[in-house]
Amino acid sequence: MNTLPPLTTPAEPTAPATAARRRPWSLTRNERKNLGLGLLFISPWLVGFFAFLLYPIYYTVRLSFTRYGGFGEPVWIGLDNYKRFWTDGLFHTSLWNTLYYTGLAVPIGVVVAMVLALAMNQPLPEIPIYRTILYLPSVLPLFAISFIFWALLDPNKGVVNEFLRLLGFSPPNWFGEVAYAKIALVGLAQFGAGQAALIFLAGLKGIPQHLYEASMIDGAGAWSRFRNITVPLMTPVILYDLILGLSLGLQVFTQSYIITRGGPANSTTFIVYYLYNNAFKFGGQMGYASAIAVFLFVLTFLIAIVVFQTSSRWVNYDLT
Amino acid sequence: MTDSRKDVQTTLFGKTITRRRLVQTAAVAGAAASTAFHAPAVLGQEKAKVTFWTTHTDVGFDSLKTITDMFNAQSQDATVEIVQRPAADVEDSSGLITAVRGGSGPDVYLLDRFIVAERAGQGLLQDISSLASDNGLDPSLDGVYIAFASAEAHFNDGLFALPFDTDLRALYYNKKLLTDAGIDLEAWDPKNGVLTWDAVKEAAAKLDVKDGDSFSTVGFVPYYNQGWHYTYGFSWGGEFFDYDKCEVTPDNPKVLEAMQWVYDYTKGEGADAMYAFIQGAMRPGAPPNESPWNQNRLAINLTGDWEIANIPKYNPDLDYGITYLPVPTDGMDSTTWAGGWSMVIPQGAKEPEAAFKFMQYACGADGQRQYTKDTSHIPTLLEVQKDKTLYDERHLFFIDELLATAKNRPPLPVGAKYWAEMTSAWEKIYLNLADPATAMGEAKKNTQADLDSGGFCPIAKPAS
Repeated sequence: MNTLPPLTTPAEPTAPATAARRRPWSLTRNERKNLGLGLLFISPWLVGFFAFLLYPIYYTVRLSFTRYGGFGEPVWIGLDNYKRFWTDGLFHTSLWNTLYYTGLAVPIGVVVAMVLALAMNQPLPEIPIYRTILYLPSVLPLFAISFIFWALLDPNKGVVNEFLRLLGFSPPNWFGEVAYAKIALVGLAQFGAGQAALIFLAGLKGIPQHLYEASMIDGAGAWSRFRNITVPLMTPVILYDLILGLSLGLQVFTQSYIITRGGPANSTTFIVYYLYNNAFKFGGQMGYASAIAVFLFVLTFLIAIVVFQTSSRWVNYDLT
Repeated sequence: MTDSRKDVQTTLFGKTITRRRLVQTAAVAGAAASTAFHAPAVLGQEKAKVTFWTTHTDVGFDSLKTITDMFNAQSQDATVEIVQRPAADVEDSSGLITAVRGGSGPDVYLLDRFIVAERAGQGLLQDISSLASDNGLDPSLDGVYIAFASAEAHFNDGLFALPFDTDLRALYYNKKLLTDAGIDLEAWDPKNGVLTWDAVKEAAAKLDVKDGDSFSTVGFVPYYNQGWHYTYGFSWGGEFFDYDKCEVTPDNPKVLEAMQWVYDYTKGEGADAMYAFIQGAMRPGAPPNESPWNQNRLAINLTGDWEIANIPKYNPDLDYGITYLPVPTDGMDSTTWAGGWSMVIPQGAKEPEAAFKFMQYACGADGQRQYTKDTSHIPTLLEVQKDKTLYDERHLFFIDELLATAKNRPPLPVGAKYWAEMTSAWEKIYLNLADPATAMGEAKKNTQADLDSGGFCPIAKPAS
């Protein structure tokens, strides 16, 4: 009996077999050439990344262990700047202010962006006009919005307080009272919600219409469709906005610098504003300012990790 | 050569030329062009270009521009370009620090004199002692500039600035508003002596006008304009630094007494309502026409000598008087305080020698005389200060009556920090958010920590 030749898999081409045996970084001449070309094409970004991001981060970390006024030689003082966090009352105040602001501004920002996106998503012929109007405040520079908001919330002549008086309320001095100053700045932050709303709008456009149609046939109302279809399918966008919002919220500075100068009574002294004062107002505190910057970097990083870790419980990637 | 090319050459040059001739002509033309291009550069090198930065605006900037033009007109060595930088808090040097670090800083900068020591201590400024000696100016400035201004210009025995102007605080009052409220103006005439703070409080209460819960006119806001911690602390006889212990003393008992008076005053008036009235005018960069003083809605204003130059511009019909800063109790001597600016050369200045020549001119007799006339500030140069023809009657009151009673902020290497910490405490006090001892105690703790960690002690007491 003729024995059948043993079953074999077709012979592998020799080149991949060689490649499999190769060390991961041993490239052929062609591959090296391609890599070189690739690096050349992204070199502007690489230069920017190393020169304007990585090196400043390294330099900031180094300065955070020194006493330094911005000129001359930094004096190495070990962990003294970090130990100072424990005893510096204004650092605690600024940290609390920042967390309070971020804790309010970011979730409210998500809600406002979602509402704006839903409004922008209405099937109306004139919708481009509404979209432009809703987006317009987002293209204004923050300092311009700050001045507008200051005028709107002026305790004596501001439109908001005049309106509240007409309704019979006794309105507060928004930027002049400790209890309201941060809340007023949270309100100001919503002027920039148009940016996030555009991303939310793109997310809404990506939800298949047939899901809504099917649910309507099943008798689902508007709220039910929103809660059970729109929100779950928008969670990846919400996660993105949350991470971005947290990062920006923790770095809040301009509004406080322009409108309140950290007051009244340090109630709007945020951590970046305090960092700025140490770096550019108080002589010899560039090292401490650097330590605050490192602290903020680590804090942002940790919060982002926590949000990512918990996101698996509430973010739905099924249709994305 | 083809006929057509010959035609072109003939048309251009009038006759046919050889290649050698063409090259020779080009070489000569090139040399001539090169000379022409270089000639202005050589001429330009004769005058150094000095860049001068200031954050002054309005009347102050206009006067500095005039002084710069005057210098340029007479200088054989330098041309100065004045650059107006965005206004910020006086202790905020972010623009200067970043520009100097980036190699694009100015040659001369106008710096609030009370933070010269702090900026010198952090290494931002050049020691100009040798430049002063080279230009015939004794670096001690003794007998040339008023003593406190000279002290503020020095740090660790080095000269880091030339004093420019100084200014003094006084109490201004709107005669019409006071008269309409039935207040006898005789007591407010400085010829009749010094008012007490309680007398001001009593008068101010008659001047307040309310519209519902908010003020439409206020008699006196103790923390508006030049109503600072230093103003009241000095008035009560307090001291802000103990040179023997190298210790900041915002908790000095006299300072705390002064703070308590302000705390009680705003509490009586309604701290929130008063702040709502004045807050807009206190906003950084608020235009002068938004000031209730210029709108005749604030009757008594604690401000400085510069107001004399501002009033004709922003409230020309105002009928006003000026008197001493009040005292806490009858019989005490009135005390005011003096501030002022100075010119410095930051690190990295490209033309330090020419810069110093400009500083010497601007801070010298010609510059200070012009600035005094334009802005109604006070010269720091003793020679100019004596010239009574520079002042009108109101301005003379500052020179003759107030200057001798003036104190100044201690020139410390943590001057800006001290100011910021005390201002934060001050805000808590006048808004009734913290009692004076707690607020000033916090300011002391935070400032002293920087003073100690910076290794600045001991600090020599400046000559008074």
